[in-house]
Amino acid sequence: MVGAEEAARLDRLEIQVENGGGGAWEYLCLVHKLKPRRSDKVLKHGLAILNDPKARSNLGGEEWTLYEQVAFAAFDCQQHNVAKVFSLSLPLPLHMCDCVAVLSKEFPGSLRVGRLEGMLLEAENSWAEAEKVYARLLEDNPLDQIIYKRKVAIAKAQGDLKVAVDFLNKYLEIFMSDHDAWRELAEIYVSLQMYKQAAFCYEELLLSQPTVSLYHLAYAEASSLQLWFLLTAFIEQVLYTMGGLENLLTAKKYYASATTLSGGKNTRALYGICLCSAAISQLTKGRSKEEKESSDLPSLAAEALLRDYKYRAPKKLPLLNSMLKNMKLSS
Amino acid sequence: MAADCCYEVSQIAYVKLVLHALKHPSSAVNGLLLGRLRQDGSTATVEVADAVPLSHAQIGLLPALEIALIQIEEHFEAEGLSVVGYYHANERHNDLELGNAAKKIGDHIFRYFPRAAVLLLDNNKLQKLKTGKGRDPAVQLYTRDSSRSWRQTGSDGSNQLTLKEPTANIVLFDYISSEKWQQIVDFDDHLDDISKDWLNPGLFD
Repeated sequence: MVGAEEAARLDRLEIQVENGGGGAWEYLCLVHKLKPRRSDKVLKHGLAILNDPKARSNLGGEEWTLYEQVAFAAFDCQQHNVAKVFSLSLPLPLHMCDCVAVLSKEFPGSLRVGRLEGMLLEAENSWAEAEKVYARLLEDNPLDQIIYKRKVAIAKAQGDLKVAVDFLNKYLEIFMSDHDAWRELAEIYVSLQMYKQAAFCYEELLLSQPTVSLYHLAYAEASSLQLWFLLTAFIEQVLYTMGGLENLLTAKKYYASATTLSGGKNTRALYGICLCSAAISQLTKGRSKEEKESSDLPSLAAEALLRDYKYRAPKKLPLLNSMLKNMKLSS
Repeated sequence: MAADCCYEVSQIAYVKLVLHALKHPSSAVNGLLLGRLRQDGSTATVEVADAVPLSHAQIGLLPALEIALIQIEEHFEAEGLSVVGYYHANERHNDLELGNAAKKIGDHIFRYFPRAAVLLLDNNKLQKLKTGKGRDPAVQLYTRDSSRSWRQTGSDGSNQLTLKEPTANIVLFDYISSEKWQQIVDFDDHLDDISKDWLNPGLFD
């Protein structure tokens, strides 16, 4: 996750480079470090450097990392034919550069380049060929996480979600602390409407993340905090969709904890509390008073939302007001 | 029922939904279609007047959709418009199937508006638009037939879907070249920062 300061620096650099103010290499290094998905910019500016022999030689050993970075960007932009060379001899401009071929020449037999070759095949939709490459690489490197993930990616790209789920589960049996993988699995389960299984994945994340978040709470790094209550926000969204009183009550609890952790600022959590309360009162209509839930929480959440909208989105305040009135959460 | 109904999509709605999809190329996007029913004698036409982009991630989850439906319906009631359909763009480039999440949302809207339209973005046609070669609308139209399933129209040669303004694709292409999609705001964006307006006022100024 990217910290707010670094994200701002990245945006500033991007604007600077886009407007011809230089700093392309600094920008590319920052993108490489922070990993936001800006493939079209990386491709544009990376190729510009690689095309310029003087700039390229200035990079020294870093040149190879740039080839790799540009190759990834090209795959993402679906311009995999950028990766086909017609000539490496200068001074022909490198509109088409075989980043992958250049790298395999420089680092023959390398696992890292081998993975790139696999990804090039993936980008060309040659799934069977890509799988062959990865199978070969896995023989010599049986514990390579990236290759396992590429196999999942291939399954997903072909629309084989059940296969992707299978692979991911096998992967997580070995690498059970990989948070990104748990998150990916949860998202696939949601798209398959397997909400119980998705909830399980999010629970795993909540179990393993708390220490990290507690540390970061002390220093209030915005991104980590966001990750923490983003995770809690997902659990109750999944529970809400599953419906049923039990789940609604649990969902409301998690929305509440997300609200506490975010200092009352997470809009989704606040809305979640309101929606849950409205749904719960519908479901418990006609039950005796003792069975009904009573708490200040829903009206507090409503108040918090109204306050926030008044300051930051006044044009939408009437809509919010009438919605909350209909839910009987405000008067 | 829906079989003899025509669907006319306005430029505003069409451009908004395509721009929304272009802003988030690596995930699924969806949104609501607003409009009204026009009856001229025996022909019924659903005029899709506007679109509100909803989300670009985690589409299978309900709460945001419910909030959006409530607030959007309320806002557009004043303009005499109601929710008449839903649009969806799949995550994968060559996936032209209407997924379960989309069908579920479509079913929900159908309950209130039996002539509900589901527009599925056709990524192949969209790619052609990027290079300025397309003439058809870059969407497929689905309606619910008597067997309660969503059927794609137009496969039997009939043309139930039209773009209201014939210049819509040209205008769209202009916006694509100027990367206008960067300015589109959806309901998801609003929930992350409520100062962002899902009505996208001033987008086309």
